[in-house]
Amino acid sequence: MKLAKTLLATALVGLTALPALAEDKLKIGFVYPSPIADVGWSAELNAGRLAIEEAFGDKVETIFVENVPEGPDAARIMNQMAAQGAEMIMLGSFGYMNDGIKLAQQRPEMTFLHASGFKLAPNFSNFQSRNYESSYLVGMAAADVTESNVVGIVAAYAIPEVIGMINGFALGLQEVNPDVTIKVVWLNSWFDPPKAQDSARALMAQQADVIYSLYQDTPSVVTVAEEEGVFVINTSSDMKAYAPEWLLASQIADWSSFFVRSVQATLDGTFEGEAFWGGMSDGTVDVKSWSDKISEATMAKIMEASDAMKAGTFHPLTGPVVDQDGTERLAAGVTIADQDLLGIDWLVKGVETRLPN
Amino acid sequence: MARLALEPRETNSIIAPIQVAALALVMTLIGGAVLFAIYGVSPLRGLHAVFVEPLLTTYGIGEVLLKMAPLLLIAQGLAIGFRAQVWNIGAEGQLILGAIAASALAIWFDGTGSPLLLPAMIVAGMLAGMAWAGIAAFLRTQFNANEILVTFMLTSVALQLLYYLVTGPMKDPMGFNFPQSISFGQSALFPTIIDGTRANASLYLGLVATAVAVIFVRYSFASYKLSVGGLAPGAAFYAGFSSKRAIWIALLVSGGAAGLAGVGEVAGPLGQLQRNISPGYGYAGIIVAVLGGLNPIGILFASAIMALVYVGGDFALLSVGVPDAVTGILQGILLISYLACSLLLTMRLRLVREAPV
Amino acid sequence: MDVLIFMVSGTLAAATALIFAAMGELVAEKSGMLNLGIEGMMATGAAMGFVAATVSGSYTVGFLAAAVLGALLSAVFAVLTLVFRANQTASGLAIGILGLGLSSAIGKKFESMTLPGVPDLPLGPLAQIPVIGPMFFQLDVMVYLSIVLVFATWYMLNRTRLGLTIRAVGESPENAHALGLPVLWIRAGCVAFGGAMAGIGGAYMSTAYTPLWAEGMIAGRGWIVVALTVFGTWMVPRVAFGAYLFGSISLLELSIQALGVNVPSQLMSALPYLVTIFMLALISRNTLFIRLNSPASLGATFRL
Repeated sequence: MKLAKTLLATALVGLTALPALAEDKLKIGFVYPSPIADVGWSAELNAGRLAIEEAFGDKVETIFVENVPEGPDAARIMNQMAAQGAEMIMLGSFGYMNDGIKLAQQRPEMTFLHASGFKLAPNFSNFQSRNYESSYLVGMAAADVTESNVVGIVAAYAIPEVIGMINGFALGLQEVNPDVTIKVVWLNSWFDPPKAQDSARALMAQQADVIYSLYQDTPSVVTVAEEEGVFVINTSSDMKAYAPEWLLASQIADWSSFFVRSVQATLDGTFEGEAFWGGMSDGTVDVKSWSDKISEATMAKIMEASDAMKAGTFHPLTGPVVDQDGTERLAAGVTIADQDLLGIDWLVKGVETRLPN
Repeated sequence: MARLALEPRETNSIIAPIQVAALALVMTLIGGAVLFAIYGVSPLRGLHAVFVEPLLTTYGIGEVLLKMAPLLLIAQGLAIGFRAQVWNIGAEGQLILGAIAASALAIWFDGTGSPLLLPAMIVAGMLAGMAWAGIAAFLRTQFNANEILVTFMLTSVALQLLYYLVTGPMKDPMGFNFPQSISFGQSALFPTIIDGTRANASLYLGLVATAVAVIFVRYSFASYKLSVGGLAPGAAFYAGFSSKRAIWIALLVSGGAAGLAGVGEVAGPLGQLQRNISPGYGYAGIIVAVLGGLNPIGILFASAIMALVYVGGDFALLSVGVPDAVTGILQGILLISYLACSLLLTMRLRLVREAPV
Repeated sequence: MDVLIFMVSGTLAAATALIFAAMGELVAEKSGMLNLGIEGMMATGAAMGFVAATVSGSYTVGFLAAAVLGALLSAVFAVLTLVFRANQTASGLAIGILGLGLSSAIGKKFESMTLPGVPDLPLGPLAQIPVIGPMFFQLDVMVYLSIVLVFATWYMLNRTRLGLTIRAVGESPENAHALGLPVLWIRAGCVAFGGAMAGIGGAYMSTAYTPLWAEGMIAGRGWIVVALTVFGTWMVPRVAFGAYLFGSISLLELSIQALGVNVPSQLMSALPYLVTIFMLALISRNTLFIRLNSPASLGATFRL
């Protein structure tokens, strides 16, 4: 009886407390795969959300849910956002793709932006970054500072984006110093900071004096490099604050211009699903916090390559490129097609570690 | 002088389980209210979001039913063992094996329109779950190895097996190297049972399991033997009870049920094999079994409440903006309240009046 | 040589969190209490330890806060199982779920923040010895304390009256009760000790081993602790050995990868569990041996 009363009271008060229907604002929902921290993948996506608020002010209202696991529960969050009147949703992880596409088909009036997937619909865009471009640049820097000629990479999964980045990194490295050995440790986990740190130490123990922390969401690898006095490069966010002495460079991704453009299109009713590849030429991808320990000569070469990529005159994955088995993958002068990049499953010669499985 | 005394109940009361459940629920509501207050949310609004909001829409009810299906199946299976003091805590691993076996068929026979595919997947998933639990039964009966620990460790092995398969043999060859299988065809999927929701026919499996469990508990001699084995006085943890058959039955039944739950996930909301199959259903199933007082009907209600807390927690993320930690804490409070109250199942509080000495 | 140094010193550090939590769990299990909530208690300890150390600026405060919170969480377990006579398996899982939620709530505002990390113990000349120095003498104080804890736990359980009492309670609470031992209080004390140690183990992860807080960073290590007590057949030296073995296998996987050898990493990750299952079957077969070492009443509810 008491229980029934409590429930009833709860229901009544709750009903009256429901918020009034939103006014004429474009409601945009964001789904992040990890907690929003100061740095990392979700932090950068969230920076894009803030850029939208900054650009559109009263015209938009944003909501977000963080730390949403890829799996059966993600769909509920998206659907709930839609039910609450969201007209646009940004999906921050590959694993949200299938549920997102389903919702997009049910709700043709809504628009969607999906990170790093490959499916498209008239109201469903996906977005990738040409991180291999900035990887090429930091690879050149790594070749400059290494003394042991061993460079280590701590990588999450052998997915195409990561493979593309390793290849870009290796090619940049070989441009400056062809004798460097590249070792990779695959974590097989997006998220295991202690394991990432152990991997960095394992690589250092095998003479690696530059560590490339590839898509590690936390500063775990960066801090251990600072502690051990080993150069470190990281992705997604600038982590200079975590390794003021030994950070070689940070590859960053800035989604604001793409997000703002897509929101504008939604407001104007001109949204069209597209596969967006953001690179250095449009400012999505860049490198920050170059270390002053890089030699001037190399830095000049880096800037030259950077300018060429910004101008769109240079593609790092241009032949001749030979894979680990010695097979020619790109003939001289041939540039890899975006479609091939999307499913790339080979590593360039010079990378010592094989792909898992 | 009057005091409260705790004394054993003389007869098995029918109302006792309801009293206990209601008391636990009230305590959870109070705990939840405090929790929301800590997060600066009006307690009633918070509780409304968790316990009422999901039930206000067809979609919300569908989500609760979707979540309920695996919990119900797993808990009914586990309860049969628990009544016999056979503690299978590895339902999560058996669920994974069930999902793998069913997926193998779905992948192998992809493109077939045969109506037999789904039934075959159901059978395969059940057998795989039974086999995985059977390992524990074998080791317990032949080597006396504690089933709590074996089933638990087999879960870790199952996870690694899943990771291996989705990055290797069962990976979608056209899936750009992402760790997941192909999307299953229609004939490999459970039909939805309510339009506009994701609730699917796998719920029927849970309801059938409930009916079977009721009959099993009421009328079957096997159940009687199981209970006697379980309640046998002095049955030491390791010496175990005499009946090897009881161990086999308990583990095979619970493993099979968990395997079925795995089929329900891959052939239901997921529609493919991927790394995140279950957000801990195997463990939550243990909780549901205990919450339901190891009684088939009680479990039916417990699974609904647990599903409601899960779904309501997700709803609350958006509607009142609390962090995801709240769902976990709320589940913890619910279970702890119930466990504390469950003493009243066998004991009762009585006001004793004593004449002053 | 560097690889060897990395393996040895790395294993000592990697096993430290496991040893703290496993010694605590071992004592609790010896008294007959199976607490499956270690993962949650370690996570809570990690969050609390990190937050307290960051806010107070003292690692000691961090470890103490983690120990206190771990003990409090396990006290809930003790009350449920001892006072309310609830089932140990379910109660442990409840504590685990609650602990994971708590850790996320406590660490929310500190996500991805870092600490300098507990400094290495200054061992002067010892640390300077070539090879041996970096292997054994350039580690933080908690690593050495964990080794002390192993010896202390062994001594306490096997050579003291308290240890005898704990084992008697775990063996047969009924007999212990008949002998006039305060069974419930002893069990509660052992469980609280287990919680405190799990809290310290968690805090070691977030303040020393990987000095940062990130939700989910315990990543299953609490479950490994439960497995370790079985792997070690409830004998202190074997449990400690198991922790070092586990630590070294996890580092070996990474080292082998870095060497460029292609290993199926999933098999490596599953190996410790397979070995534990194998060991368990092997030792359990000998019922006499099991009887001698395993607490006979483990997991069973005690009714006065």
